[in-house]
Amino acid sequence: MSSIVKPTTSKNSGLLKRMWDAKILYLILLPGLIHLILFKLLPLFGLVIAFQDYSIFKGILDSKWIGIEHFSKFMSDPYFWKLVRNTLLLAFFNLLFVFPIPIIFALFVNEVRLSAVKRFVQTLSFFPYFISSAVIVSILYKVLSPQGGLVNQMLNLAGFESVFFMADPGWFRPLYVMLNVWQLFGYSAIIYMAAMTSIDPHLYEAADIDGANRFKKIINVTLPSISSTIVVMFILAIGQILTVDLDKILLMYNPSIYDTADVIQSYVYRQAFASDGFPNYSFGAAVGLMQSVIAFVLVMMANKVSKKYSESRLF
Amino acid sequence: MKKFSWFDLINNTLLVLVALLCVYPFVLIMATSLSDGKAVVAGSVYLLPKGLNLEAYKYILGNERLGVTAGLLNSLFYTVVGGFVAVLVTFMTAYPLSRKRLIGRYTIMLLFLFTWVFEAGIIPNYIVYNGLGLVNSWLVMILPMAVNTFLLIITKSFLDELPYELEEAAVIDGANDWQIMWRVFFPLSKPIIATISVFNAVYIWNQFLIPMIYLQDRSMQPITVILYNMIINSSKGGTSLENITVNGVQLLPQNLQAASIFLAVVPILLIYPFTQRFFTKGMLLGSVKG
Repeated sequence: MSSIVKPTTSKNSGLLKRMWDAKILYLILLPGLIHLILFKLLPLFGLVIAFQDYSIFKGILDSKWIGIEHFSKFMSDPYFWKLVRNTLLLAFFNLLFVFPIPIIFALFVNEVRLSAVKRFVQTLSFFPYFISSAVIVSILYKVLSPQGGLVNQMLNLAGFESVFFMADPGWFRPLYVMLNVWQLFGYSAIIYMAAMTSIDPHLYEAADIDGANRFKKIINVTLPSISSTIVVMFILAIGQILTVDLDKILLMYNPSIYDTADVIQSYVYRQAFASDGFPNYSFGAAVGLMQSVIAFVLVMMANKVSKKYSESRLF
Repeated sequence: MKKFSWFDLINNTLLVLVALLCVYPFVLIMATSLSDGKAVVAGSVYLLPKGLNLEAYKYILGNERLGVTAGLLNSLFYTVVGGFVAVLVTFMTAYPLSRKRLIGRYTIMLLFLFTWVFEAGIIPNYIVYNGLGLVNSWLVMILPMAVNTFLLIITKSFLDELPYELEEAAVIDGANDWQIMWRVFFPLSKPIIATISVFNAVYIWNQFLIPMIYLQDRSMQPITVILYNMIINSSKGGTSLENITVNGVQLLPQNLQAASIFLAVVPILLIYPFTQRFFTKGMLLGSVKG
């Protein structure tokens, strides 16, 4: 074999030779590389407009640099703090319900002994996950409509007045969270159910001998056995806490409920794409950059912590 | 025979109810779309259609002004073409990155991961896409979706697991990298290809924000945006609907909207049996191993 692998005198030419030998691999990689550069890296450079007074007609190179003016402007704007508050509250309530419900659901599905029932429940429960938010919110509008929507019909039958849910700021957070729970719990439960399949059956037999009932077994055997999965999922959820479902918010909100529904990302969207007014790209980009930096730090911290707890991690 | 237990009875009943709750809204929409408007306005449609008819679907699909047919066809086009491109590019990116000989593979992977975690945001994206001429171009529904980093990771980890000896054997037979990828590794990757095909198809079919921002031209809009304009945004310059009577059947906006919503769900219903098999596996692979 020594005739094939020749020792190279220069390290550099060896490297080039190895790259040349893999030339077809690089050609195969080309489309993905172009995608990476155009759609993933170039927008990062586009972030410099946060420090400019960007005009789409002048372009990035000719627009005026203004430093951190946009940042100081929104930091001193009370509305920005309202956005931060709305974002955090929405994320907090979302985590409070969207996180534990799949675990509880998985624990009870795990207790089902009839495999037909188990399959039926699983199949139906993660159907909503695949449906577009545009469809789901459309259905929500129909069901909650003050003109003959199912929920208001029920309210009227019970002797209550109709409620215009989609125009009431007090209802936005509960509706957003409920919709997320409904859409995600079946799908999120999959990971816990998978963790449960690897629990040693002897543990249950031992618990039987100790006279434990079903609830005792759930609490003392199943739950501890999946605790590391729960911890990891929780840390990852914390890392992504600022990631609101922008599609859903844009579909659900309207000016009458901005008071609770307007979050950082929807505000950024309006800065650039609202039909009324002149687009303020730079200011929006600055607000968006702020959010991205905080989200990035959170994800990195979460990833670091989750590495400590188990082999599983985000990357 | 197992012993009867109250726990099982209550648990099974509750879980079945929860599961039914997950699909009930779709059943209600379907029932409304198939009912006579008179029954809908009387509030008597809960589960089964009253005055069963297909007039709402005929009206929706035959009425160009509403844009539902065009929206469905657009969505289908984006999903099929975009899904194909995405699977092709994702596989062709994951394969070289899974070969240890490829110098620079860690850096490239790191850049993918970094841009996944650190989002530039919608405005910098808009400026770049605008520069690339993607505003009001159907390519905006194809090209930016070509590589989803999460799917790239699960495809790469699948390829990482395949034995290296396969490649050695093919090299001895005189195959080059292009041939090895397609003739040796691609056939072995069918499970992961199926998974990412379904992921990509659902992802593109459900897109809302991208077409909202980039496709102002109504003739290019997918069904999600058409639905938004018809149902949610109808009072603010969206698509308006009127009460009409066709063949003795009353069609209310509710019927027509329900029919449009249901049409947007049908393709998902059709691929749902496959999603079940592949999605679950894919998700476990992705979230556990990364």
